[in-house]
Amino acid sequence: MDRENLEKSVITLEPKAHSRGKADRAAVEVPAENLQNLMRQLSQNDRFSFDMLLDHTAIDRIGEGKFELVYNLYSTEHAHYLMVSCLIDRGKPIVPTVSSIWPIAHWQEREVFDLFGVLYDGHTDLRRIFLDDDWKGYPLRKDYSDPDMLEFEK
Amino acid sequence: MGLITDKLPGYVEHVPGGSILITSIDAIINHSRANSLWPLAFGTKCCAIEMLMATGAPHQDTSRFGAEVARQTPRQADLMVIAGAIVKKMALRMRLLYEQMAEPRYVMATGSCAISGGPFMYNSYTIVRGADEIVPVDVYVPGCPPRPEAFFWGLLTLQKMIKQGESIRHPNIRKKPVLAMLPQGIKIEDIHQQIRDLLEQENTVDVLKAASQKTWSAKVEEWIEKTSKNP
Amino acid sequence: MTAAIKTLDELLTSPTETNRSLSTEEYFLNMGPQHPIAHGSLKLVLLMDGETVRKVIPVPGFVHRGIEKMCEHLGYRQIIHLTDRMDYLSALMNNWAVSKTVEKAAGIETNGRIETIRTIMAELQRLQSHVLWWGVLGMDLGAFTAFMYAFRDREIIGEIFEETIGARLTMNYIQPGGLMYDILPDFVSKVKKLIAYLKPIIEEYDTLLSGNVITQERLRNIGILKAEKAIGLGCTGPVLRGSGIPYDLRKLEPYGAYDKVDFDVVIGTKGDCWDRYYVRIEEMRQSLKIIEQLIDNIPEGPHSVAKINYKIVLPEGTYYGQIETARGVLGVFIVSDGKNETPYRMHFRSPSFNNLWTVTQIVPGWRIADLIAIQSSLDLVIPDIDR
Repeated sequence: MDRENLEKSVITLEPKAHSRGKADRAAVEVPAENLQNLMRQLSQNDRFSFDMLLDHTAIDRIGEGKFELVYNLYSTEHAHYLMVSCLIDRGKPIVPTVSSIWPIAHWQEREVFDLFGVLYDGHTDLRRIFLDDDWKGYPLRKDYSDPDMLEFEK
Repeated sequence: MGLITDKLPGYVEHVPGGSILITSIDAIINHSRANSLWPLAFGTKCCAIEMLMATGAPHQDTSRFGAEVARQTPRQADLMVIAGAIVKKMALRMRLLYEQMAEPRYVMATGSCAISGGPFMYNSYTIVRGADEIVPVDVYVPGCPPRPEAFFWGLLTLQKMIKQGESIRHPNIRKKPVLAMLPQGIKIEDIHQQIRDLLEQENTVDVLKAASQKTWSAKVEEWIEKTSKNP
Repeated sequence: MTAAIKTLDELLTSPTETNRSLSTEEYFLNMGPQHPIAHGSLKLVLLMDGETVRKVIPVPGFVHRGIEKMCEHLGYRQIIHLTDRMDYLSALMNNWAVSKTVEKAAGIETNGRIETIRTIMAELQRLQSHVLWWGVLGMDLGAFTAFMYAFRDREIIGEIFEETIGARLTMNYIQPGGLMYDILPDFVSKVKKLIAYLKPIIEEYDTLLSGNVITQERLRNIGILKAEKAIGLGCTGPVLRGSGIPYDLRKLEPYGAYDKVDFDVVIGTKGDCWDRYYVRIEEMRQSLKIIEQLIDNIPEGPHSVAKINYKIVLPEGTYYGQIETARGVLGVFIVSDGKNETPYRMHFRSPSFNNLWTVTQIVPGWRIADLIAIQSSLDLVIPDIDR
């Protein structure tokens, strides 16, 4: 399916989603409560059959006080891409996990927890992955300050 | 071996002719240690491919220098080659490995990440800026990554350092001779002479010569001649 | 909604859920960051029962330098030199991934010469990377001779890189807008001589390791990864193709000069270590085929369509570009706010990070010597995991 039809079909599937815009592929935005439902349908429905979760990451939108979680999906059957994003509150960042649908999400969500501090409801093994267990703070946030980090601005 | 290095200098130095014995023993021990260094392959990143794997390979060969027995366990190694960036999580393990090595032990920091943090010096929150914040380093080999020929230069410098700077009279003190780093054919006396010459040259001024060398003086003389001719 | 956070110590000291009816005791073995496999600093905590591995807990992070945070302070041409140091065995392909994404986002068009040379360099680098993997696999299984043969050939390929690019390992050659330097006049004849040299060498590799009965016993039917599980587990590259799924970005979404050449996608049947091994050996042959078809027809033109010192400001939005490296699919995700010449957020979808998860799924039940063979056949590069 091409970009416009894909966005329209996804919005008919889940009415709370809307088109995100400002991306180079089909992109929809969905609130956190409907995320798991939408993902399950996207992976099991034969019209979409998104069986590959390529990438899961987060963007720190500090100006609006939110984290934007981004899921990049791909379907090997129909060869189309979709980007699903979800805005959550920066002060209380918690979102349901999708590791029951794509097992690799178990590993990718740990990375987002380690670097941003986003909590995943239903994750069986939420631990830091790159940094030590007793590291204070979440480094990839925009307001992270560390005296050890020599900042250099041109 | 422990008898020779610990007890012998104390007894023998007072005997006439004893220091000749100690110097000859020094020569033998240093020669054997320098020509059979066993590296501990501590490679974390890209430098490991060039420094540890490519130097053991057929095109550039560390067996020529006696250092091809690379052990993975620190208990059997005496040269720690740090090849790669060190981050805080790894720094603790590196210190443990250094303390497990038996003396005498040497450390060579290869690559700019191990010398000063390298390309990750600014804006990185986990890097340790230089391996010498954790272990005492003997030889630094610059490059990103250094060529295998540069690694051999570092190895030869270390060998020279062992042969010239160590003695069983002072077992834990090591002299780092600057002589080991000079290019071929230059001695320290040449450098002294050059500095002396430079200072003497700048110290004495021949005022008449300096005044006549200014380019404007020729123009001034011309002008004086010109104006003196036309009243 | 609630979420429970754990630490590694709690995980290791909590009671395990295995059967304790027999009077054997299970213990934890730490295959720590310094171990003779020499793949890099990766810690694996193994729950063992005798010599059989019951559970694998990988602990990465010993080379984590924070490249993604550093990218927020650098321009796009400066980020290229950092991507060399992520997966250093396919450095040119990493450069190409970032260049391709930036060019597509900014609307820069390249010409035929640039794309052909990029393809030839990428295939030469893929050959070099697979040759080193073969040598290290032999060394892990105990055959140290394979390592010597592999490095002899790796240096011969590296001489061509050194003459054109100037570097042996960290290349920094493929930039957004073209290439750093043009190729020398004797590049074509040297590459032709190299292909003629390498063709019988790959047959020699087959005779040395593949036909050996010990290699066959240690690699056949070990560590089977089934096709229906493989896609959900996030693996790409030869790991996925060894299980029988023909996912190769060079055929599905051709970039560079890949749509002008004719080559096969190599897939396995069963998904065991032998399939992953032989897929890479066949890929070496296909790489030689691609280079042969391209080397005589390099079009004329400038080697760079943009000036050397310019700053690129991408329009506002998110961009995602992918490329097929020697290990799998490398994806580059750029978020730009439209005003600065530095990205707002840059994320790398690295192939080794996603391939590492398969170790936890296919190793339990095998012995520790099989763990080494499985980990070698997955071809992980540790700085790519940690970024």
